[in-house]
Amino acid sequence: MSGRDPRPATSVPAVAASPVSDDELRELAGKQAALGEVRGAPAPDPVNEPMIRHWLAAMGDANPAYLDKGLAPPAMAQVWTMQAPRPGARDRSPVDDLLAALDAGGYTGVVATNCEQTYHRYARLGERLTPATRFTDLAGPKRTALGVGYFATWNVTWYGDGDEPVAEMLFRVLKFRPREGTREDRPPYPLQPAVNQDTAFFWEGAKSGELRIQTCADCGRLRHPPGALCPRCRSSRLTYTVASGLGTLYSYVVHHHPPVPGRETPFVVGVVELPEGVRIVGNVVDCPPGQVEIGMALRVTYRPMDDRLVLPMWAPEEP
Amino acid sequence: MTRTLTADEVEAGSELPELSIDLTPTVVVSTALATMDFTPVHHDRERARAQGSKDIFLNILTTMGLVERYVTDWAGPEAVIKGIDVKLGVPAYAGDCLSFTGTVVSCEAGRVTVEVRGKVSLGFHATCTVALTLPPAG
Amino acid sequence: MSRTSAAIAGIGATEFSKKSGRSELRLAAEAVLSALDDAGLSPGDVDGLVTFTQDANQEIAVARETGIGELTFFSRVDYGGGAACATVAHAAMAVATGMARTVVCYRAFNERSGRRFGQPNARLSGEPTSQGLEMSWHVPFGLMTPAAWVAMFAQRYLHVHGATSEDFGRVAVAMRRHAATNPAAWFYQRPITLEEHQASRWIVEPLHLLDCCQESDGAVALVVTSAEHARDLRRSPAVITAAAQGAGADQMMMTSYYRDDMTGLPEMSVVGRRLWEQSGLAPQDIRTAILYDHFTPFVLTQLEELGFCGRGEAPEFLKDGGIELDGRLPVNPHGGQLGEAYIHGMNGIAEAVRQIRGTAANQLTGVTNVLVTAGTGVPTSGLILSAG
Repeated sequence: MSGRDPRPATSVPAVAASPVSDDELRELAGKQAALGEVRGAPAPDPVNEPMIRHWLAAMGDANPAYLDKGLAPPAMAQVWTMQAPRPGARDRSPVDDLLAALDAGGYTGVVATNCEQTYHRYARLGERLTPATRFTDLAGPKRTALGVGYFATWNVTWYGDGDEPVAEMLFRVLKFRPREGTREDRPPYPLQPAVNQDTAFFWEGAKSGELRIQTCADCGRLRHPPGALCPRCRSSRLTYTVASGLGTLYSYVVHHHPPVPGRETPFVVGVVELPEGVRIVGNVVDCPPGQVEIGMALRVTYRPMDDRLVLPMWAPEEP
Repeated sequence: MTRTLTADEVEAGSELPELSIDLTPTVVVSTALATMDFTPVHHDRERARAQGSKDIFLNILTTMGLVERYVTDWAGPEAVIKGIDVKLGVPAYAGDCLSFTGTVVSCEAGRVTVEVRGKVSLGFHATCTVALTLPPAG
Repeated sequence: MSRTSAAIAGIGATEFSKKSGRSELRLAAEAVLSALDDAGLSPGDVDGLVTFTQDANQEIAVARETGIGELTFFSRVDYGGGAACATVAHAAMAVATGMARTVVCYRAFNERSGRRFGQPNARLSGEPTSQGLEMSWHVPFGLMTPAAWVAMFAQRYLHVHGATSEDFGRVAVAMRRHAATNPAAWFYQRPITLEEHQASRWIVEPLHLLDCCQESDGAVALVVTSAEHARDLRRSPAVITAAAQGAGADQMMMTSYYRDDMTGLPEMSVVGRRLWEQSGLAPQDIRTAILYDHFTPFVLTQLEELGFCGRGEAPEFLKDGGIELDGRLPVNPHGGQLGEAYIHGMNGIAEAVRQIRGTAANQLTGVTNVLVTAGTGVPTSGLILSAG
């Protein structure tokens, strides 16, 4: 395989993980900021006593002033407009698109760095708050302790029944590219694959965030694990298709014993069936072993194991 | 907490009494749910671990709430919180202990600024500036 | 292979232990000499040696140690435990073609006190050989122990056939019950219950510790010569009625996860078909079967692949006591590798010979034909041995 883009014409959807460049990120940030303040859906519940009492109890806050005066603790501002645990038609704010683009650009790590709240007044029992989000700033890429990343900042204002602001919040997260470890903190991963001319394309693909399935340029047959010739038509013109990254768990094991070098037990290994028609083995991650089951929907995710090796792994596909 | 401090009782440099909160799983989970935050890392230990965390950990809305409580516990019920700025540090995991300390940095015409630090075994979880007003003397 | 052309005329073994305290070469030599004594032959009568590719003792070294002189045939069979019955097949071919007159097959290792197969070995995927490349689709994900490779098939079997871990457990319980009355077995007088099986710790889910065979130090050797010659020797011969090797389509070493179905062992089906064709026998003609039992789940699969029961029916076969000494098809009367010892399947062939001779610890009545299989999940082999 020589070309960088030897993707053949095939009926299989070849969805490339289009890497987002820094320029594109800046452009999108500008666009999102230009949207200005975007109103969200009003809070599902008005400011109410039961939620306040529950919150005070959980915080261990014995301050009687709130319920005595019919007011909500100001730090509850955001609580009123939190989204339900099972999102239906989820409210989409200008921030969501930008965070998704950062993910696509490889800045998959996230950590909140600042939360600054200003309270114009305390919210009153019975009033229904409405949030409005304004994307304000994208700064970076910057080198941080966690890795190179962008600081994304947005503001939320909560409006009361009279449409005057009750509280405001500035929120900032660092979206970072998980750092490739130094020699000290990231030793070479002990379980390296052997690679030859027939298989190098796969491992190079994993490094660039592509799940590449060997494809015969003559008869179009997809094959995994890849080989040296097409066993169907004998062609040696082998190329690859970039898989959609979706899969279904066909079988799996939970490894407990004995210890495996480079791994913490227990860990899950699965056989994943791809819609492209082949199976592939990989770890099932971001899911407790007890919740793994045959037939579950998965999506590929890429994990750097050391400076050289990236392994495609599989995480539950959120519904 | 029945009496509220008055502006004349507070001066720059005054220290707040320390408050330590044992972060039992119950505290972490009940506060996450009371703040309507159902992200699994705040209540599902297996999920939290699967994502590389040591355990479940406090959510940010709770950090805000606890800082507010820490300051009003000291200032009293008539204090009015005007703003809380938090710089977030290390995670506050279940099983750890979160200790708040605070110092008054300014007090002018009933407007008080307090610096609060929340510390856990891994280091500072939150470094905060809290603005509040206190009723005048008398 | 024509019926009655070759036979097993002698069997020999060391003790089965967890720490032999001796070199692997010494174990090999002891087993070979013991098998020759059993046959009533001397080292000078041997002109061929066959072992496993994995054996650490070269044929010439074993020949030197035992006083076997010149060799006219030597051969090794690959694919781990899949080689066991094939060593006898290769020896029988050599005898049938005149390459050799008397061939000894051997396997010797300190698999418990030396290199343990169940331990992860990062070098499995280290070299860009075809096998190294094959392993490279699995080892980097930590899928690198035999228990894990088998567990992947087992999970699918449970899912498709609605079976449970207890169905696997019944195999372990039966093997330990058989071993309990076999003085040569490591687990002699140590039976287990299904509850103990269920309570044993996870190795790789869905396999418990007691789904995994033991690890052993020891050696077994088998003397193969023409049936005609064997009849003149000290012991009544175990005639090699059929011998076969088999690899399935799209075969891999332990990880054939890319074939249409993951609930079977197509390579064992290849072996089974050949054994039935060669022998003219059918499953009901087999008095007892020695089925390779490094892990319990593949005993179920083998019962199905060899036609002792239908697809997905093995759990019922087990529940009915089918593999017990008084069952429809007593399996591994010596206790198998789960109960007697793990000598890479070679101790099972020796048990088949004893059953035919009538000298086994748990001797069955009326034994005419015994079916023996080798390693599962790998290219494998099988034998039908008969009285005569």
